[in-house]
Amino acid sequence: MPKRKVAALEKVDADLVSLQYKIRRDPKSYAQEFYDQWLAYDAQRQIFISSPSSASSEDNKKFHDLVDLVAHVADLYPDVTAPYFDHLKELLTQHHAVLNPDLREKVVGSLSLLRRKDVIDSTSLLTTLFPILISTPSKSLRSLLYTKIVSDLRESNSKATNHKLNRTIQTVLHNLVTSDRTSTKGMWACRITRELWRRQIWTDARPCDVMKEACLSDNEKVVVGGVRFFLGGDKEREDMEDDSSDEEIDIKKVKHQGTINKKTKKRQKAMEKAMEKIKKQERKKHAPHPLNFSALHLIHDPQGFAEQLFQKHLQNTKCKFSLDNKLLVLQLVTRLVGLHKLTIISLYPWFTKYLTPKQPSVTSFLASLAQATHNHVPPDAIEPLVVKIANEFVSEASAAEVASAGINSIREVALRQPLCMSETLLQDLVMYQKSKDKGVVMAAKGLQSLYREVYPELLQKKFRGKEATMGLKSGEVKRLKFGEEQVESGIEGIELLEKYKEEQRLKKLAEKGEDADGDAKMKDDDDDEDGFNSDEWEVASNDSDSSTGWINVEHSDDEDEGPAAKKQRRDSSTAPDLISDEAMAAAAEANRISKLAMTTILTPADLAKLAELRREAQLDKMTGTVSKRRQELIAKHIEDGVTADDIELPAQIGKKSTKEERVAMAKDGKPAREEHKSTQAIRKSKKEAEGKSSTNKEKARKKNFLMTVGKARAKHKRSLVDTKKRLTAHIARSKSGGRRRNGM
Amino acid sequence: MGSSNKKKKEKKKDFNKAKLKVGKAKAKAANFTDTSFKSKSIVVNQHTLAALDGVDLVGLFKQHLNQAINSKSDKLRQEALVQLTKDLSSKPIFNPVGVPNLLTKLLPLITDSVANVRTNFLKLLRALPPSDVAPHVEKILMYIRGGMTHLSTEIRSDTLSVLDWLIEVCPDETVSCPGGWLKTMNSFSSMLGWNPSVASTLSVKGWTSATKTSLNKVSKKNGEAQAKQITTLAKFLEAGFRPETPLPYDEQRYWDSIYRMPTTPNPFAYLNLWGAQRDEDGEMYPDRISRQQVFERKWRAAIKTGVMGAKQEGGVIGRAASVLDKVLRTAEEGGKKVVEEPKIEEVEEVKA
Repeated sequence: MPKRKVAALEKVDADLVSLQYKIRRDPKSYAQEFYDQWLAYDAQRQIFISSPSSASSEDNKKFHDLVDLVAHVADLYPDVTAPYFDHLKELLTQHHAVLNPDLREKVVGSLSLLRRKDVIDSTSLLTTLFPILISTPSKSLRSLLYTKIVSDLRESNSKATNHKLNRTIQTVLHNLVTSDRTSTKGMWACRITRELWRRQIWTDARPCDVMKEACLSDNEKVVVGGVRFFLGGDKEREDMEDDSSDEEIDIKKVKHQGTINKKTKKRQKAMEKAMEKIKKQERKKHAPHPLNFSALHLIHDPQGFAEQLFQKHLQNTKCKFSLDNKLLVLQLVTRLVGLHKLTIISLYPWFTKYLTPKQPSVTSFLASLAQATHNHVPPDAIEPLVVKIANEFVSEASAAEVASAGINSIREVALRQPLCMSETLLQDLVMYQKSKDKGVVMAAKGLQSLYREVYPELLQKKFRGKEATMGLKSGEVKRLKFGEEQVESGIEGIELLEKYKEEQRLKKLAEKGEDADGDAKMKDDDDDEDGFNSDEWEVASNDSDSSTGWINVEHSDDEDEGPAAKKQRRDSSTAPDLISDEAMAAAAEANRISKLAMTTILTPADLAKLAELRREAQLDKMTGTVSKRRQELIAKHIEDGVTADDIELPAQIGKKSTKEERVAMAKDGKPAREEHKSTQAIRKSKKEAEGKSSTNKEKARKKNFLMTVGKARAKHKRSLVDTKKRLTAHIARSKSGGRRRNGM
Repeated sequence: MGSSNKKKKEKKKDFNKAKLKVGKAKAKAANFTDTSFKSKSIVVNQHTLAALDGVDLVGLFKQHLNQAINSKSDKLRQEALVQLTKDLSSKPIFNPVGVPNLLTKLLPLITDSVANVRTNFLKLLRALPPSDVAPHVEKILMYIRGGMTHLSTEIRSDTLSVLDWLIEVCPDETVSCPGGWLKTMNSFSSMLGWNPSVASTLSVKGWTSATKTSLNKVSKKNGEAQAKQITTLAKFLEAGFRPETPLPYDEQRYWDSIYRMPTTPNPFAYLNLWGAQRDEDGEMYPDRISRQQVFERKWRAAIKTGVMGAKQEGGVIGRAASVLDKVLRTAEEGGKKVVEEPKIEEVEEVKA
């Protein structure tokens, strides 16, 4: 008798994977089988727990498979599997050090699977995984747990922000950092916070608070983690956002392929997916920009924080951080000082020791000093530092790079606090524009042009330049005083709006054929047109208007300029040629503006127009004849940090670049060329790679010679008239867009 | 033509002297063998190369032990088990690693995928001296429970043979060790499909339920398997309900139990001083009364209905079921006696 052939079937049945599949298809009918396996799992678990460290590989494998099975169907039998989560938790927390790596991974995976099936909630999952993350010695387990934790947090925040969970985890992280300040465990808090910040899942002040505590830790690694977050976290976040919007799908191409390729389900699915993605991107484009504050702005009590950081890590002589890390801390402290305009007086004398050319990475120190300066810093505190920089760095004997870095850093400091300079020192520094090195010249000229703008009196007369001299003469340039703030008195850019309205009105008048005859009349009309049903408002002002042609709004500070303004108004139709008149015109302008804001109510449309005009004006400034210095100032906000590169920049100017650099520059932005190939060939291969076909011309060129030869012979035999006819027809055809009349 | 030219050249090539060129590698010889490859593993056909003729018996034993667990080929595993059995049944017993180590290593073989290995393993177990097995009953039972609800029917029935052996060898320990009574009952009921707890998890509404679609209820062979299951359950219950014979009073033993060091391992196991906390299923039921009580409470009804059903089926199963029924009945009678006895004592106390 032949052997019975049922082995295959039995084998399949004895397979946990197929059992899992069957259970998922029909959980009710297979309850008995599941219960059997649950008991087997329980027995295997006990075997394991009785001797966790010496479990045989055989047992481990069996247990692994059973854990897997139960995890996959746990949601179908909630009564039976109720203790399952506790089992896994106990297993992992007590035996994670001795567990077989495969089994360990499976247990972690099963836990997150339970979370995905909503058998347990995020909090219980995270509170299970987190303690293990910070205590386990295994690197692979740590990385696994880290990814699981982050992905779970992302997942639970994907639909709506899960405030409760976030708060719990943030509190855990905060406690982790603050409980033991000397341990490296705070690193995990830093890493998790940074990752979630980068993904814009956490954007409020609490994660910043965690990082703040990390910065104040005693452990060097943790401190660096925290400091790096504040210095680079926001940029990282922006980059991430840019990246995500980068990959774009060519919708035309997708549609075109849909018409040509064979229609299969797979292709259709891919196309639907692409369309969905495009729609999503569209939606994202039109969604309002999330108003995320930078981490530096969200810090609570920046003054206290900066002071603590400075005292703990910089001023403290017992602090043994490496120079690089100290510099990072210094950058953060000075950035905070510059951004929030904090006052830490002891910071400035501390710098003195480090401002010598021999100090390693001195440019970073210089940049930090510039960062730490703002207009509320007393000049007495900075002046010695500026003098020291000048003495140490800037001399004929010192190297050109050193001198240019010195002058440049002085300029950066002076940009933020112009009063830090004495007259003689400035004269001395400005004279360096006669130097032979280009970098030094540029730096000195930069300093000069800065002072021309902010404080020309300090410069010698011959260096002041035309504009500054005229400004001084007219009294437009005022003397700087320490602690004085320039306060914006009205609405920014309202004069632009008024000018625009005037123009519109004139246009209308011109259309009507009426001529504007007098200023007074214009003014009246202006009021009438602008003020929408606000007669009561206008009564008082209109009276004075009609009598004098100009209304005098009295300000307490420029009372004496009132009559002058009146006079100016009358003269404005004639060309003003005196400088003093111009100054008066400015004052008059100021008066007039305040009137517009006071007499009319600005509608939303007005405000929108105002914003637009302001933007235009800004653009004009950028592209117009404004000095380079101004442009730079506009482009670069003073609140932005200063880096060592900014200080080193002018030293690079005079230098000749090496051949490699030049080649790299030339290659930049051109298609990659692995082999020696013509540009044409590269283009062609690129086209082919994109799936585009060749042009008709190319096809014609490739056509077999024997196929064309007959026509070519016939062409020879044509009569002249015939040839002409063909040629004219060809021209006409090509003009009208080919045989198909494309573009008609 | 070209081809003949080519051939001529090829023929000539062998006799041309190879020119050495600067900057170019020397041509490889015709008999060159490339040895630059790397390999992570080398396959060896023989498992042992050393001559092992009675040189190192201990080493040989250990090698057999390793082979029995780790070898990929079932033949080797089986042979190793036979060798181990031979060693263990020799007089005097040759066992250099000791029973505990032996058991820890070999117990996973209960659920080995090859039938011959399992039968040989059972033979090996039978060769072990009963007194040495007694302290490890709890551990053996864990593996047995794991095997009793295994997916494969053959493994299940072979596991039952192991349980038979265990009941034979040390019946008291089997039913009284932690988890030995209720957990094993759990496995039995799940195995036989007489489980009330599964029905409740199903939460079947209405008065019908689908016919039992078990993976294992297909062939005629299954009837025999189920009969065996019922027989083993009967044996198990019998061991649990066996009336304890009181030891005759011995003064020496009485004083020893109070003042001497205990001779058995873990004599205070029932206090569970060091282990994890046990639930009801995992608890120890050291004496007959407690076993009986908990059985009455949890299993009596389920087993009874199961037995009724099995009896009606007739054949091998019916016969086995009637044996089980008998055991249950005697237990009931014994239970009544047990329950009545303290009453008499109470009366006596009252009298006193």
